[in-house]
Amino acid sequence: MEAISVRNLSVAYEDNLIIDKMNLSIPKGKISIIIGANGCGKSTLLKSIARIIKPKDGEIFINGKDIKDQKEKHLATQIAFLPQGPICPSGMTVKELVAYGRFPHQKMIGGLNTHDKEIIDWAIEETGLKDFADKPVENLSGGQRQRAWIAMTLAQETDIIMLDEPTTYLDMSYQLEVLQVLEKLNKNKNITIVMVLHELNNACRFASNIIGLKQGKIICQGIPMEAITRENLKAIYGIDVKLQLSDNQNYPICVDYDLIRG
Amino acid sequence: MKKSRFPQTVFILGLFLVVAIIMYLSWGTYKIAPLDIVRTLLGGGTKLQNTAVLHLRLPRMLVGISVGIALSTAGALLQTITKNELADSGIIGINAGAAVAAVIFISLKTSNYYSTLGVLSIYVLPLMAIMGAGVAAFVIYFLSSRNGIKPKRLLLIGLGMQAGLNAFITFFTFRGGVGDYNRVLIWTSGSLWGAGWNYAKVIIPLVIVAFTTVLLDYKKLDVLNLSDEHAVALGLNLNRERKKFLSYAVILAGGATAFAGNVGFIGLISPNISKRLVGPYHKNFLVISAMISVVIILLADAVSRNLFSPIEIPVGIVISVFGVPYFIYLMMKEK
Repeated sequence: MEAISVRNLSVAYEDNLIIDKMNLSIPKGKISIIIGANGCGKSTLLKSIARIIKPKDGEIFINGKDIKDQKEKHLATQIAFLPQGPICPSGMTVKELVAYGRFPHQKMIGGLNTHDKEIIDWAIEETGLKDFADKPVENLSGGQRQRAWIAMTLAQETDIIMLDEPTTYLDMSYQLEVLQVLEKLNKNKNITIVMVLHELNNACRFASNIIGLKQGKIICQGIPMEAITRENLKAIYGIDVKLQLSDNQNYPICVDYDLIRG
Repeated sequence: MKKSRFPQTVFILGLFLVVAIIMYLSWGTYKIAPLDIVRTLLGGGTKLQNTAVLHLRLPRMLVGISVGIALSTAGALLQTITKNELADSGIIGINAGAAVAAVIFISLKTSNYYSTLGVLSIYVLPLMAIMGAGVAAFVIYFLSSRNGIKPKRLLLIGLGMQAGLNAFITFFTFRGGVGDYNRVLIWTSGSLWGAGWNYAKVIIPLVIVAFTTVLLDYKKLDVLNLSDEHAVALGLNLNRERKKFLSYAVILAGGATAFAGNVGFIGLISPNISKRLVGPYHKNFLVISAMISVVIILLADAVSRNLFSPIEIPVGIVISVFGVPYFIYLMMKEK
């Protein structure tokens, strides 16, 4: 089963073509990680799927249905998206922020019902923020803040979650903190996770499906062991890498790399 | 924390409001004691008290209250839409657009701005003003929306717009003959001069309907506080909602301007103070903002009626005296 499928997708900013006739299928219940150089169209791809950018051409299907034929709010109950560098309205507590995630489920009039409150509590619990629920978001550390945003995304109660560079600007321990939360959600709740990541070794460790992009085209796709090869990384980043197997022999690790000159 | 502060704030502002109302009704060339006001309102006043309270001050106060609610809500909406706390219908020229339409309409009907408007004109005037406000808002939106709305650009274009439109009003009213500077001031600075029951019965229902509609849609406004990308991801039809709320702002600002001229700054100050008091939730801060705005406009109008009595200074000028420093303060804080 595929969670997201993209057919013949072309996306452009004015005359600048970012994604060119892309065909892509993202499997259900897996962690798919998109890698690629700056400006290769990773974010653009996620934003197109999240309806933030209107594609020039092509179709996008979520759970088998064309997104053009569906109401915005209905789609928001199937797929959640955490953009890069989200802005929190000032003075908001974690709980208040997470409650935003219930918006697509709520009617115009009326507050949060029992189910809404349960989901909010669950999302906060799941991201390990229980002790911080009533603290202002501004007072949290980087990793906690990012987990608060993930909690909000979770509160949308969708079976697909997309994240645009959720670990950027976080130090190594915070990165791991965030990625482990996502891994747990994927394992326990069978939530499909699609994210853009810059850290290659983290991508290999957490992905069950890696998608390598270059200039809006897919260079490789598959499990890390198959997708992350010397040739593919050369094609994607223009670098010469030294790869080695991880301790558990499950995924490749990049131990060193050099720019390819000429 | 913020939840418990809302009822308190409502209570304290409610007290302010009562004080402002009593002061408004009692202070004037003909002073009336607070108890006499209550008696007059209940129908037991003398002839003189009846005239002063029921026919002059009460309708003017109700118009003032409506204008206050309308302008604070319009300002709050514009601030949320543009994500800029410096936005206000007075500053960015939406009120001026309404004032231009109103001035043109009135001078087509009569050469005497002070004469009471005809029955039909009372209903057509706000319509014209709203249209004027709409045209101004459309032009500002159109000019600043290339490659996405840039709040700074919107503000600068709006400032230019407002200066230009005010110049037009000044020119137009002087050119019209009897060069009475007061007349110009009413439209460029905002005044509640001459607001009677005929105005009140039009603006009160307009403001009640528009304010309630906006308040009922508080959830969408809250989502607009997030980044644009996030709002879309949460299932908000961003462009449609933006245009919708902009239309509400236009209706409120246009309606207010039709009867009170271009009162600036109140729509800027009130939502900002309110947000500092009760936080960014629209359900709470729109109500508080309206209350603050009403208190300010009643006090300011009481001052403008009485301070230099019998000469009246436009209420907008009194508000600007306090509003301008606050505007500069916000500008300096802006990164």
